[in-house]
Amino acid sequence: MRSAYLERPRWSCALEGALAAAGSMPGVVPVLHAGPGCAGNFAWTANGASGLQVTGQCLGLSVPATNLQENEVVFGGTDRLREELLETARIMEGDTLFVLTGCLPEVIGDDARSLADELSTPERPVLFASVPGFSGDSYAGYGEVLKSIAADGVRRLRTKRDLANVWGVPPGLDPFWRGNLEGIRGLLALLGIRANLLFGPASDPKALRRAGAAAANIVVSGLYGAEAAGIFRDLHGIPSVPAPLPYGAAASERFLKAAGRAFGLPPSRMRRAIQTAGRAHYAALEPAVDLLNDMESQRHAAVIGDANHAPALSAFISEELGWVPELTVIVNDLDARGREALEGYWEATGTPRPANLVYASDRRSILEAARGVWPEAPQEGYRDPKRPAIVLGSSLDRALASAIGAGHLSVSYPVANRLVLTRGYTGYRGGLALTEDLVSACIGGR
Amino acid sequence: MSYLDSKIPPVREHRHPETSLAHGSRWRGGHAAGACPIASRADRSFTQGSICPLLPALGIMLSLPDTVVLMHGSVGCGSCAAGNNVNVRGGLSSRGAPVDDVVWLSTALDEMNVINGGDARLREALVECDRVYRPKVILAVSGCLPGVIGDDIDAAAAAVRDEVKARILPVHCEGFKSRFMATAYDVVYHAVGRHLMPDPASVGPRDPRRVNVMNVGSMGLADERELARLAEALGLEANFFPVFADPDSFARAAEAALSISVCPTHDDYFLTHLEESYGVPHVIRHMPIGIANSGRWLRDLGDAVGRAAEAGKIAEKEEGLLRDALEPFLPAFRGRRAFVSAGEYRSLATASLLQELGFEVCGIRSFHFDSYAEVELEKLSRARECSGQGTAGRRAGGAGRGSAAQGGDGDGFVFNVANVQPFEEANLLRRLKPDVFLGHMHGNSTAARMGIPCQVIYNSGYGYLGYRGAYDLARRLHRKMANPGFYRRLGQFGKLPYRESWYGEDPFSRIRGGEEDGS
Repeated sequence: MRSAYLERPRWSCALEGALAAAGSMPGVVPVLHAGPGCAGNFAWTANGASGLQVTGQCLGLSVPATNLQENEVVFGGTDRLREELLETARIMEGDTLFVLTGCLPEVIGDDARSLADELSTPERPVLFASVPGFSGDSYAGYGEVLKSIAADGVRRLRTKRDLANVWGVPPGLDPFWRGNLEGIRGLLALLGIRANLLFGPASDPKALRRAGAAAANIVVSGLYGAEAAGIFRDLHGIPSVPAPLPYGAAASERFLKAAGRAFGLPPSRMRRAIQTAGRAHYAALEPAVDLLNDMESQRHAAVIGDANHAPALSAFISEELGWVPELTVIVNDLDARGREALEGYWEATGTPRPANLVYASDRRSILEAARGVWPEAPQEGYRDPKRPAIVLGSSLDRALASAIGAGHLSVSYPVANRLVLTRGYTGYRGGLALTEDLVSACIGGR
Repeated sequence: MSYLDSKIPPVREHRHPETSLAHGSRWRGGHAAGACPIASRADRSFTQGSICPLLPALGIMLSLPDTVVLMHGSVGCGSCAAGNNVNVRGGLSSRGAPVDDVVWLSTALDEMNVINGGDARLREALVECDRVYRPKVILAVSGCLPGVIGDDIDAAAAAVRDEVKARILPVHCEGFKSRFMATAYDVVYHAVGRHLMPDPASVGPRDPRRVNVMNVGSMGLADERELARLAEALGLEANFFPVFADPDSFARAAEAALSISVCPTHDDYFLTHLEESYGVPHVIRHMPIGIANSGRWLRDLGDAVGRAAEAGKIAEKEEGLLRDALEPFLPAFRGRRAFVSAGEYRSLATASLLQELGFEVCGIRSFHFDSYAEVELEKLSRARECSGQGTAGRRAGGAGRGSAAQGGDGDGFVFNVANVQPFEEANLLRRLKPDVFLGHMHGNSTAARMGIPCQVIYNSGYGYLGYRGAYDLARRLHRKMANPGFYRRLGQFGKLPYRESWYGEDPFSRIRGGEEDGS
């Protein structure tokens, strides 16, 4: 049963996730059909959660919005939306409008979808997603935007044999999304596959159209984007390929194998790529081996994050650094079906199942789980204290870190205390960046 | 009957019917206040996302110690607490208090709740969070959703009152009910007034030294220290509330000798309540921003406690010290063009300060406008005449739509009322080309991306108020203007989301209504 409230929810609502996604697509202008404070609310949320990334091209308080008032709540808001859309087309630069509906119009029954369809032209498509806050969390909103793209935004074009769409990295909710998408692009390039990225500076206004020409949809998440990939498969015949979120070298190897297989490349091609990249990777790491070993940099760790990050981080520290993941907390509110889907995805992608896995997001439950590893009572006699320890989590997990006497690094949403721009942890370079950040977090007093 | 007798507070639309969100005009010195072409029904045919009363309200509520903020709405409503949390952590740290994350909760209403109502869930949440966190106060805050599905947060609070140890304060923040974020203050103080204030009969004796000063969410400790210093110079002790104030300490306000406002638009609801219900008189006139305004504020305070002469002397001395201290900065400011954008009162008061520093104020944007601000506009116009910056004359071009602002003529400033709306701002800035932009927190990125050096104002933790605040802002402005490298580079490559054709249109062309409607 649902608990009566969520404590410090580590996500916002569907509208927020949808806005973060649609607002990160070059050439796309999101239009909020919602209450007056939603945009400001999301900007302030990002302030404390997305590694200082607030504005973006059409995000923050720049996003066109109907700011519904009592009058519209009583008499309906579609007239206001019509006016807003026509004006948006005159004032805002962009080829595609993306109408996103929040709680108010969905409760009062505005038919925004019909209006979007009516105003849509081949030169200026108007896409639509129904994403009221009560329909789900930010992840759901990201998923709805992808589903709209799959169902309405894309026409099947002649397949480009070397082109892949990449789903499963939600902008904003993954504070490292830009770098993570770039890292994935870099990995695919090792196999001569072009990544068609729809979001962020790595994208371009033609990416949306091009998505219909992809030979495959690579989904680097067990949950987010999988449904949209299903629509792509059913409507456009583009197959869906589950692949791990490739944090570091070991996961990158699995990613390359999965992607290469999907594109029908001979295994020798993947082996060669893995050999070359692996050599370069460890050549880069080599100068630090002396001290990484001698200063006993190995750590016991609690990993806390969403269904994408926690397992990827847990696998990374275990496989790459040889650290000991003592506890892995997935913060998402997942029902049995969601958890099953996740397990299936780990199985399919060869992602190691996280050690000591717990589903929780409130401070008390997470602390309780951590106390199972790091008890409060002073350790006496010959008992392994599981230290030195570190918490890899969100900014909200600093209290946990100090409660169990561990170090801390913000690597999952919300990230309030780091600036994140291009940093990403995917691919080989991402693995090195993560190694740098983790070890630096441990030796700040050096 | 007092507003506080009803469960639901009035919105600004009703309490201050003259309040407006949309207005744009060219303004010249010499304009007489009182004829402001402002109309509450003025609106726009194109709008960008904005801020609802919930957001500033959370800024206050989340700072209260031993308090749980229970959002009743969809899970996104109030997710900005993640950002407020940053400010509260900073505020706790500067006050030497243990730093920890604020407790915000959400009933995260889903589709079933929308169909069946969310009252039961709210009641359950109230009981449960009281048991888990044992707070002194639970703020049960309603977002838009309960307002449209018909949940009654007051009834839910009343229903569980016997089961819950904490005091429950229902707070009405349905965003669609008011276009004015200033309504936020009223809804919070409505709840505080109804639930945290003592029975007037049980209030202790008046403390003749205590003066109430309401702090606002974006005011930091530096500002409090400055105002406390000025009050102390008059032998008074400033009682700051509500931000960061213990819920049990609110009653102290009823025992004060006097209240003095620092921001009329923020304070009037509660200071009126203190006067009407507890007999605490209040002064609500000037915001202590800038040299002259700080002097006015201090003299008002002295006047009210019978120490007018003393206050005058202190103000004179402070002003002398400040002017000497500012001297080295002034050459860099003289004649430079400044644009300021912030809350109603503060944008105007800050413009006065900028004039005092030698800037030519070429544009002012206010989040809203009501009768409180007329006096500030008048001060600005007068100051322009005195300094010879403005040409005395009538306001040019009429009001609202059709009065396109042209930059560079140096004889007036553009006054634009907008609940943010950066598209108008971008258009104005392209015309006016100011040398520096001063914007409220989260209001600077448009100007910054146009290559204009930006100085944040009203980001909590920095000083803005009183004499020392004026010095501190001048110091930071000087530093900013001494090296605008970051903005220059940004402006060369930065990009805004507007069509080039938009910059050729009248910046106020999307404002409709206005004078005609409001009459």
